[in-house]
Amino acid sequence: MLEFRIPEPVARAMTEHAQAEYPKECCGFLVGPPGEVREQVKLTNVDPDPVMRYEADPKEMKRAYDDLFDRDWEVVAIYHSHTHTPAYPSPTDVKLARDPNAAYVLVSLQDRSLPDLRAFRILEGRIEELGVVSEEKAS
Amino acid sequence: MAVEVRMPTILRKYTSGAKAVEGSGSTVREVIEDLDQRHPGVRGAVVTDGGELHRFINMYLNDEDIRFLGSLETPVSDGDVISILPAVAGG
Ligand SMILES: [Zn+2]
Repeated sequence: MLEFRIPEPVARAMTEHAQAEYPKECCGFLVGPPGEVREQVKLTNVDPDPVMRYEADPKEMKRAYDDLFDRDWEVVAIYHSHTHTPAYPSPTDVKLARDPNAAYVLVSLQDRSLPDLRAFRILEGRIEELGVVSEEKAS
Repeated sequence: MAVEVRMPTILRKYTSGAKAVEGSGSTVREVIEDLDQRHPGVRGAVVTDGGELHRFINMYLNDEDIRFLGSLETPVSDGDVISILPAVAGG
């Protein structure tokens, strides 16, 4: 299984974002130099049915992309939460996955006291799980 | 009109990895047509067979979403920056 490395503070911040938005789904980017997660970018879920679906605010995404462009960074992962289902891509997630280079990270709050975090690649409709490695110190 | 077009990672396979390319035209649609001549595939990734902007693609002229301007018919000027962003959505 390929690894997905994530600094522990970023993983914690992502889980906190999911808790703060509950029962709505949260979403955001994990960004950094190619292939390396350094920072979290929270995005607002603007889908009209935010408990069941997510769509990131286009204006916030534009600002995030401008910043990445200037720093030569990229969207290393796209994350969102599931509040009623496991941390596994839904059929909608698979259908709408646009980025074969990014990891798709899911945080499930199906059991709110025990958040579950898993990472995947979604390539042309196929789901491949990545092994999440949480690192104490950011590189 | 010469404009800069910023490509998202998912479209850089059409631009040999370049994160920005130069295009020309008097509207956003003409710029996309122009890019497709040199980078075949760009148009299909952005515009539907019916000639509309794809539902899950957002395009910006400088800082404005072109859906709130004139969509693909939005006029462009020398030095403008067009950014193409894939929507981020799921369930
Ligand atoms: Zn989902």
